[in-house]
Amino acid sequence: MTRAILEVRNLAKAFGAFQVLEDVAFQVQKGEIVGLLGPNGSGKSTLLNIISGFIAPDKGTVMLDGRDVTSVPTFRIVNEGLARTFQLPIMPQKMSVLEVAMAADTTMHGVLPTLFRGAGFCKAERDTRERAMQLLDELLLTRVMHLPASAISGGQKKLLGIVCALMARPRLLMLDEPTAGVHPNLRQDIVRALHRLNDQGMTLVIVEHDMHFIREACNRCIVLDQGHIVASCKPEELASNERVVQAYLGASVEEARAQIMQKEVA
Amino acid sequence: MYDFLIFTVTIAGIYAIMALGLNVLAGYSGLLNFGHIAFAGIGAYATGIAHARGWPVLVGIPLGMIAAMILGVAMARMGRRLAADYWGIATLAVAEILRTVALNEDALTGGANGIAGIPGLFESMPGQWGQFYFTVLVLALVVLIAILSVRLGDGRFGRALRLMREQPALAACMGYDLLKLKTHALMCGGAITALAGSLYAHYFNFAGTEFMLAAETFVLWTMVMIGGIGRTGGVILGVVLVQAVYAFVPFLRDMLGFGSDVAGALRLGLIGTLLLLCLMWRREGLLPEKLRNPA
Amino acid sequence: MLQFLVDALLRTADLALITLGLSMLYGLIKFPNIAHVQYAMCGAFLAYALNSIGLPLVVALVLASVLTGVLTLGVQLLVFDRLLKSGPAIAMIGSLAVSMVLVACVLGLAGSFPHMFSMPYTEPLVFGGARISKTQLWFVATTVVLLALFVLLLFHTQIGRAMRALACNPALADASGLNARRITNGVTLISGMLAGLGGSMLALSTGAHVNLGYDLLLPVFAAAILGGLGNPLGAVAGALLIALTETTVTNINFGPLFGEYLLFLPVSYISAASFLILLLALLFKPYGLFDREVRRV
Repeated sequence: MTRAILEVRNLAKAFGAFQVLEDVAFQVQKGEIVGLLGPNGSGKSTLLNIISGFIAPDKGTVMLDGRDVTSVPTFRIVNEGLARTFQLPIMPQKMSVLEVAMAADTTMHGVLPTLFRGAGFCKAERDTRERAMQLLDELLLTRVMHLPASAISGGQKKLLGIVCALMARPRLLMLDEPTAGVHPNLRQDIVRALHRLNDQGMTLVIVEHDMHFIREACNRCIVLDQGHIVASCKPEELASNERVVQAYLGASVEEARAQIMQKEVA
Repeated sequence: MYDFLIFTVTIAGIYAIMALGLNVLAGYSGLLNFGHIAFAGIGAYATGIAHARGWPVLVGIPLGMIAAMILGVAMARMGRRLAADYWGIATLAVAEILRTVALNEDALTGGANGIAGIPGLFESMPGQWGQFYFTVLVLALVVLIAILSVRLGDGRFGRALRLMREQPALAACMGYDLLKLKTHALMCGGAITALAGSLYAHYFNFAGTEFMLAAETFVLWTMVMIGGIGRTGGVILGVVLVQAVYAFVPFLRDMLGFGSDVAGALRLGLIGTLLLLCLMWRREGLLPEKLRNPA
Repeated sequence: MLQFLVDALLRTADLALITLGLSMLYGLIKFPNIAHVQYAMCGAFLAYALNSIGLPLVVALVLASVLTGVLTLGVQLLVFDRLLKSGPAIAMIGSLAVSMVLVACVLGLAGSFPHMFSMPYTEPLVFGGARISKTQLWFVATTVVLLALFVLLLFHTQIGRAMRALACNPALADASGLNARRITNGVTLISGMLAGLGGSMLALSTGAHVNLGYDLLLPVFAAAILGGLGNPLGAVAGALLIALTETTVTNINFGPLFGEYLLFLPVSYISAASFLILLLALLFKPYGLFDREVRRV
């Protein structure tokens, strides 16, 4: 069995008296597109924050490609090959979209090459710019490239967030609700872009609510409810999975069906 | 008149270099350094101490810059969890502590009397030429540092700083070590300002603690904020404006015949009012920072 | 020994009222107002001016403090409310600008020479080897009384409760019907009055001089931060601590440590002591020694 690219073991986290996550464990294999689902309050965001180094868990470990990254701070996680996006990205006012994308390339050069525009430095800048523009093009942001990053729409900001995450050339990309607030036409493009990335070898973990998106994009789903994992199955199997339905509707499949039938009759 | 003009231009040049140093911190990185003048003081005293110890006096310049960079590292590490405005007060405290030490350590710094007799840079030149060359040197340095400052701001280090300034969480997420960025920014701004401090010592042939008063930092802040924080051209404009006020007031005094207290008050009042008006109505300065198009 | 305590007490009184005003206001306004100490300076000069045109001393002090309160409120409404919309950093720079303007006005109108209050010379009281002038004693007594009144106001009246609620949780306070605007304005006024009174009483001993405000800046901030911003009793405790440190630092004979008979730190190191404490406070205990509510440092 090949080593999983992401492995989470016995993760637990409480905020005060409120236990947000308990005994969370799962694996993600290289090349998968995993959807992370769950009703509001199930702990999805916290899980994402722990894996990406924003919060430290009370218990448990996060392993990235066999390396323990549980206590690695946020800014170093990128070096380990993990990048993430945000649900509600806030973008700078005084930087253009292109600049923000270019800034996502964090390789630094020495003081002297920077100041005196050495050949190596100029080439690096050009390469970064090209790569940024290419990614912006793939995610349909070329039109707004020179606008202030805070002036684009919420959906476009999300796309910019994805561009920034991709600039870091991650092996594992975690997306936090990438299609919420995005124009329906754009969603198809995002799905296509994500599949393309996956074909190129990138593993994806996507936190989402949108069932259509999940069915089209993901090849496996992990469902959280009240801090516990209640299911790990294919998207098609979600609707018939007892525990999933219970999590979302608070009732068994039979009861839910009965309720819906009743409403339809009445 | 010629003398006065040369004097004003030279002083403006030295302040411009200091303001450009502050701009790297305040403008690009969003660091509220209210103890910035300490860097200049270090530069001035480095030159002074080099002279007092009998070392070749030019050694003071790199010495000052290195000492300033060390202070910059210390300031960056200080209070990693402090919010921007409280870090500002901490830096003010640091500058004041350094000034108090300079005031008291007679053996090192000459105490309240400072170190006098520091040679100028072109003393060997006949007549007025020494003065003139010094002024030319200062202006040349201003131009050089201005160009470097623009390059710094436009390049990837500047991008990283500006991102850190506006959205530190996003910057951290992208993989930037914010502490390292701040440290580098402080080292940069500090070194530039220390250079100006050394020039100041050479110009006035003197290094003393009056130079390290917090009031001087406030003047620098005013220059940077009025002109256009984050924009090199704006900073230069701010320097020119403030220097104009500073030069104008003595004229007014000679014309209207009021005392030096009133002159001092007028200077301070005009600068303070300018700053206030700017903050209320043109928060980003007269020449606001433009959106950059990376080439 | 007793002189040492007396000195410390006097210094505490110097700082206490102004620190209290700063701390209370910070709880509501949430940015470091550098101009606060300049209000104290203005109060000193106002008191001097009123006194020299013939008003009896006590009246001059009270009137000066009220006028300073009004000044503080005015500046808050006209300047800081607007600047705060752009964030605390801008407001802080704004307070810098306001400081400059205030100092400039006073410098232009009154000159840079200290103005001593004309008070009849009285024999200082001597007890147990310590000397204290009548003025100073009166100063300390007034401060203590005012502090006690303030504590009473804060903890035993409706208004006081409202002030504390607002500092703790503005949204909730607002929702429960407290008029945040009015209370904030009230606290601003009181804070200004305290600063003005503190400054003028301080000036009774040192004279009203232009640097009065600036000399107080770092000690007052150190005291306020040590005590925890927004914590009124902490502010007084902070002032006491700073005063003790300052007095101790220059009174300790370091001689024995260095094998000499007498070795004292130079007097000008007093200020360095409080700056150092401020620095240490910000680095290690930014929420104050008594770590309570207000949390944004």
